[in-house]
Amino acid sequence: MDAVVCDRVSKRFILRPDRPRSFQEALIGLFRPRPKDGARRVEFWALRDVSFAVRAGTTFGIVGENGSGKSTLLRVIARILKPTSGAVRVAGRVTALLELGAGFHPELTGRENIYLYGSILGLKRREVNARLDEIIGFAELGEFIDTPVKHYSSGMLVRLGFAVAVHLDPDILITDEVLAVGDEAFQHRCLEKVHEFARAGKTIIMVSHDLNLVRQLCDEALWLDRGQVRALGDPVSVTRAYLDWANAKAFRRADAPAPNRRWGSFDVEVTRVEFLDGEGNPTWFFATGDPLTIRLHYRAHRRIERPVFGVGLHLGESVHITGPNTRFAGLDIPYIEGDGIIEYRVRELNLTRGVYLVSVAVSDHSLTHLYDYHDRLYRLEVRSRPGFEAFGPVYLPAEWRHLNGVAGPIRPRPGYTPAPPPSPGRQPE
Amino acid sequence: MPGAGLRTYYFKAMLSVIPGPDRLAELFRYRELLYNLVARDLKVRYKNSVIGVFWSLLNPLAMSAIFTFVFTVLMPSGLPRYALYVLIGLLAWNWTVGAVVGGAQSVVAHGHLVRKVYFPAEVLPISTVISNLVNFLFALIPLFLLMFTLGQVPGPQLILLPVAIVTQLLFLSGLALAASALNVPFRDTAAVLDVLMLGWFFLTPVFYRVEDLAGDWSRLMYIVNPLASIIANYRILLYYNTWPDPLFMVRTFVQALAVLAAGYLVFGLLRDRLPEEV
Repeated sequence: MDAVVCDRVSKRFILRPDRPRSFQEALIGLFRPRPKDGARRVEFWALRDVSFAVRAGTTFGIVGENGSGKSTLLRVIARILKPTSGAVRVAGRVTALLELGAGFHPELTGRENIYLYGSILGLKRREVNARLDEIIGFAELGEFIDTPVKHYSSGMLVRLGFAVAVHLDPDILITDEVLAVGDEAFQHRCLEKVHEFARAGKTIIMVSHDLNLVRQLCDEALWLDRGQVRALGDPVSVTRAYLDWANAKAFRRADAPAPNRRWGSFDVEVTRVEFLDGEGNPTWFFATGDPLTIRLHYRAHRRIERPVFGVGLHLGESVHITGPNTRFAGLDIPYIEGDGIIEYRVRELNLTRGVYLVSVAVSDHSLTHLYDYHDRLYRLEVRSRPGFEAFGPVYLPAEWRHLNGVAGPIRPRPGYTPAPPPSPGRQPE
Repeated sequence: MPGAGLRTYYFKAMLSVIPGPDRLAELFRYRELLYNLVARDLKVRYKNSVIGVFWSLLNPLAMSAIFTFVFTVLMPSGLPRYALYVLIGLLAWNWTVGAVVGGAQSVVAHGHLVRKVYFPAEVLPISTVISNLVNFLFALIPLFLLMFTLGQVPGPQLILLPVAIVTQLLFLSGLALAASALNVPFRDTAAVLDVLMLGWFFLTPVFYRVEDLAGDWSRLMYIVNPLASIIANYRILLYYNTWPDPLFMVRTFVQALAVLAAGYLVFGLLRDRLPEEV
């Protein structure tokens, strides 16, 4: 049985910059003659002929770039927006986790807000009552549950929002990147909850930028590009197709419009760059400590003696974190000709949470003549991992030890008077 | 022919906004939300001041005192028990202002919800009307105290008071529904309302008698201004202490129903645009 069916769903937004936004403007418009066809009207199709079916009890992932229509699609499925054409059929109660805690009122306590939020999602008081303890437990609020929500930290709000929505026992759960909120431990429990949902035979529709998560959790995936379905089916092949396309797009960007980002004599060209995780799957999401492989596909247009391949990792535009190459590593490549692959393997990616830019280069043995240089054209994102956290961009694998500890706080001796502060102008000896 | 197409479009749109039984059933399913929203409004209003109820009563009582001073001492109107007469009008008026002005803000104020969660947005203006109804009911306590102080014991016609209250509830729901939806595409609705409400106050027999109006204006008043009829209902029951003309009460009720239908139509026409534009 299908839990959700979208049949040729299209959604058009009409932007009318000339439309009066107030009674005042409407009134002025009455007296000012308007050109008949001059009313500007910008149409924007956020979704176009999107068709798919989600079988009951499966997990369905939606991937795509920002602005590809993913969130609009979720809102249409959740019945918040009405499609311009096409039909959506939903069997069962839907809970949409589009924004955690959106309905909370700051003056009310956590407990009062649970009831309010529950009723916004269409639940009866006794249904909320039956799950109240579970919700409070999951949100880890303890006695704060009877404190007005305005005193909560943002983490507490997010936990409460997730706890309420997920415990209200929907048949179909719709989530939009909400698994990426809160601290790592809470994210973990959210994921566990989603797994539990899936095991209980519930239907889940999720949007995520984390392609590994989509591969891990989903039975099927959909790739949305500018409101249209580009691929539908097995999550591994869909995410791979999406990733290939996104990489190719980054490459086209590299090729044409930004000459200052790529230069060289192009006797050897780097034709493609991939980031691989520990299993060899392409991705651009890593966690601190994960293995990382950067794979360069090259094409040598003539025989090149002793080339050197290098990569660079940058934080933003200014901080160059590391720039290894094959020559420093002692890998002597006698010559190359035609197509080939070079891999740079990192056993543990010891970068902390953040977005990093990656450069790649091919040069001659002296490192002075560049064949092809891609200056910070690729990006990879690192998530934090408990136990692998540090301030600054780098985590050094190390351990802390505590030797010869002093027991208890240090107290001054009785009768001890602190030395007077050094008078200014005199150098301490 | 584009004109014909447009006409069909509007005809279809009109048909589609008439709330079908499923729409009303859904509204009924969300009665728990309505209850919670009203409870929240009242809690928030009264939580931070123990004497919150007192403050909500202060306004009509003080206004009533001022009008009584003006129209019995400064400019005697000749109406006996004028304080009671004007307080009845003021309480009905205050409910109206609270419901319409608050209702106009209700959808925009909950924009984050309307954009992100599915629920019938009608409950927002309706909950504002109902929480203001609760204030109105609170204010009936000092009203009855005043009645007893003036030596007036309410008669058996008091059983018709709920009918008068429901009439006003339907009327205000219609206005709040329309105002809440119009405030989304027209963000200066509140400013326009300020002026309209001020004008409406003086054009409603709150502190004067309809019967004192010149010429045919008193007849016209009951036709054009449903609030005049609603206040007249209250006064017949609470001030004049007599049985009302049943025809008048029914006509007022039908008027209120018509306003509710018109308000719901405006809301229905704009409903689909609310999550996109709010």
